[in-house]
Amino acid sequence: MPAIEVERQILPILGSPNQGARFYNPDLPSSEPFVPGHRTCAGCGPSIQYRMTSKAAGDNTILVGPTGCMYVANSSYLCTPYNVPWAHTQIGSAGSFTAGVAAAYEAMIRKGKWKGAFPNIICEAGDGSASDIGLASISGALYRNHDCLIICYDNEQYANTGIQASSRTPYGGMTTFSPPGPMVPEAKTLFPKDLARMMAAGHPHCYVATASVGYPIDLMNKVRKGLNHKGAAYLMIYTPCQKGFVYETPRSIDLGRLVVECGLYPIWEWNPEKREYDYSFRPQNMRPVSEYLKLQGRFGHLHAEHIAKLQTFANQQWKMMGIELPEALIQAADAKNLVNMATASAAEAVAQTL
Amino acid sequence: MSTKGTKIPERLMIPFAGITPAPTQNGQDLFPTGNWRSIRPVYRDKLPPCNNACGTNEKIQGYLDLVKRGKYLDAYALIKEDMPFPSVTGRVCYHPCEQACNRGKYDEAISIRAVERFLGDLGQALTRDVVKPGAPNGKKVAVVGSGPAGHSAAYQLARLGYKVTILEKSPKAGGLNRGGIPDWVLPQNVLDREIERLVELGITIKTNVEVGKDVSWDDLKKNYDAVVLAVGLTEPNSARAEGENKQGVLFGLPFLRDIGMGTSKVKVGARVAVIGGGNTAIDCAREALRQGAVEVTMITVEAHPQEMPASPEDLHDMKEEGVELMHGKAMTAVLGDGKVKALQLHPAKFSGAINASPINIDREAPAERFAVDNVIIAVGQHASLAWLPQEFKTERGTIKIDRFGRLGDTNFFAAGDIVQLGAGQPLMVVNAVGDGKRVAFNLDKVMRGVTLEPRTIPVDVIFDLNRMNMTYFPHFPRVQQTLLPPKSRRKTQQEVIQAFTEEQAVEEAGRCFSCGTCNACDNCYLVCPEPCIVRDVRSNGLYKILVDYCKGCRVCIEECPTGCLEGVPELDFDTGVVRMDTAFAVSPGLHGRQAEELRNLGDRAPKNI
Repeated sequence: MPAIEVERQILPILGSPNQGARFYNPDLPSSEPFVPGHRTCAGCGPSIQYRMTSKAAGDNTILVGPTGCMYVANSSYLCTPYNVPWAHTQIGSAGSFTAGVAAAYEAMIRKGKWKGAFPNIICEAGDGSASDIGLASISGALYRNHDCLIICYDNEQYANTGIQASSRTPYGGMTTFSPPGPMVPEAKTLFPKDLARMMAAGHPHCYVATASVGYPIDLMNKVRKGLNHKGAAYLMIYTPCQKGFVYETPRSIDLGRLVVECGLYPIWEWNPEKREYDYSFRPQNMRPVSEYLKLQGRFGHLHAEHIAKLQTFANQQWKMMGIELPEALIQAADAKNLVNMATASAAEAVAQTL
Repeated sequence: MSTKGTKIPERLMIPFAGITPAPTQNGQDLFPTGNWRSIRPVYRDKLPPCNNACGTNEKIQGYLDLVKRGKYLDAYALIKEDMPFPSVTGRVCYHPCEQACNRGKYDEAISIRAVERFLGDLGQALTRDVVKPGAPNGKKVAVVGSGPAGHSAAYQLARLGYKVTILEKSPKAGGLNRGGIPDWVLPQNVLDREIERLVELGITIKTNVEVGKDVSWDDLKKNYDAVVLAVGLTEPNSARAEGENKQGVLFGLPFLRDIGMGTSKVKVGARVAVIGGGNTAIDCAREALRQGAVEVTMITVEAHPQEMPASPEDLHDMKEEGVELMHGKAMTAVLGDGKVKALQLHPAKFSGAINASPINIDREAPAERFAVDNVIIAVGQHASLAWLPQEFKTERGTIKIDRFGRLGDTNFFAAGDIVQLGAGQPLMVVNAVGDGKRVAFNLDKVMRGVTLEPRTIPVDVIFDLNRMNMTYFPHFPRVQQTLLPPKSRRKTQQEVIQAFTEEQAVEEAGRCFSCGTCNACDNCYLVCPEPCIVRDVRSNGLYKILVDYCKGCRVCIEECPTGCLEGVPELDFDTGVVRMDTAFAVSPGLHGRQAEELRNLGDRAPKNI
């Protein structure tokens, strides 16, 4: 069989803003595949992510939306905010559907039924789909190396059904499935699944990266790198959820920055050629986790030892990235050093005297 | 909303019980989520503190923004709106803008003066200036004096279409710019070029014409439709010491003026004392070194360098060059036999205002003898106003004006040091330029018969860094201008402070916060979750918020680096019932177009629901 010339789209990488003292975004792509009028909540993190992603991908794009916020809230009454072809699939079949779309285009090009560049095929799965229900099918799509980009927009819970815990919900996060109480004062006792590393370790031929809405240009560049990568790519993007995290809406981008600066969401890239992690991304500051936690109502019940436990977790993440820890962060990992915060037993004693 | 690619069955093309419109191809009109909103983002440009502090209100933020994008000519044209000679002020200005700069509270203030000089030098190199004279209106105006205020007034009047004649008593035009500022700060050829620019604007300059001697008050009244008096302070103050008429006693401004005009016959001796602690005294001390003095001592009444009414940078540079300071002393007599041999000094204290000089000299204390060859007295200037009708003189020896710079009901106006002495603001070139500019505009109004109105006070100046988003501005050091090494400066008339290169100017302009003013950084456009912030071209003032869809999440307001975006409660938009259709920006600022468009929303055809 003669080799088929597949015309591919190569998307240019955007220049970095904030060079030196200046703040000025680079020239952004003009295409706008995501349009207003959708019914997501005000300040919705996933929809910020969706907009940035689709803007980076351009108009020759096909979006796949497994069940999740970005399907439920956006596609009611038979219309969607997507100005490009978009299809819904079941929550468990994100990977298989996307693989099918990619395979179909490969076949159509092979048979001469599709003229033009190979489209950017992007699957926008929520963390429920990507880390729990659809994990197997996504792993399959990555393993078979279909030319597509699978994004997990990680709002750390099942949000469209009313905030239930997923395997990406952080330790201490309150959801309707993990309410805090006298028996389990920290609400969620398990630490989140390290999804992106799992994908990188299991499918080392894929481009895998993490990103956050707090760093829009970095996010858009990673989307473009993933699309330019010949084969499957996987992105995990932090997207705050205003209803689930319980914060003031203007903080959406701010939280995206803070979560990285607190070390709870390391930003890295997996380089499939060299088969190694690239930890060169550095946030401007390093902060204790309490600065991130205190902005959110879902962590309002935490006590000193829980915060210290989260700080220990964050410190492990910094170490994993090979970053030396400042003394203040090591101190903050000890509950004794967290002043003005009651321990769980002290709080319980107060409840019993009453 | 888009229904592109969606095939809608016929039976679904009916409205849903009057709540939600049926899916149609009308796209975005389907779900106006804007009615969720209680707070609306509004673009409202505020006044940056630098623009506010500048004596002539240069649009500093504006030209820094243009410089950082490489639009140097536009930046030069913008600066020329308020400032006729950026190449001069870029060298001599005491930069009140840099003191006010918000970046000064964060790391280091922006080197605005150096960028201004870069633009001024660029303008000097142009074969034709960007400024054109206005359409002639047939009126003749005389400007008396060609110093900063006169230069500025003549320049603005020529732009307004007046036929301007400058009367200058010295053989060369330039006034204080030429006579009061040494060559190693402002080279003569730079000033000559700026004066050429005035001639190119059609201004006639008559030198060697002194008002009161060559022309009288009545001549001015008869020959011109209006007159601007910008005569400045020409006569040096005496130090009120005995023996000031002895040979070897020099006065500050005439000393500098004669050197500047090239008519100086003075040879200074090895040991020179300078009396006074102001900027002129510093210039005199540094000039004395360049004229051949070996030891220069500055004798001030102020007890401490910080109290001296002088620019700290110049003071630092002067000390580097080797001038000694002697504090807390006043000269009470000049000793010597016809020629200065020594000074008699007494301890003294300075208390009170800069211009009033209440000096307490302790004459009881033992006098000190200080041997010198020359003494330069630089303790301020006063005006020479013998020619002026008595009714327009004040007790301070300045010209009496109303708040518009006008002398009574006459068509005479006055500007610059001659009216600003003792008025509470420091006497600086840039303040004189601003005064000249405002007086020119007032004169124009009087000529056109328009009622004069007092200056409006800026409503909203950003002084508080919390109103901006500082996460977007990493700390970054100021780009320093190179100086000649102190050793080599002492004997040369070469410029001490060196100009910025293009790269340095762009880097320094890039440090600007753009306080309170949109600089088209695209951040609001990028972070909007809807996205309901749209623009066609990327330019300040061309961002538009689709209020039909804005849910009021305020992410854009929080993330606006400059603090231009503001949240305004919907209840403040007072007209109409459907609030989202009736909004407009509270004060238009540069976003007037957006406000206009929003105002016209009422005329739009009702939606087909």
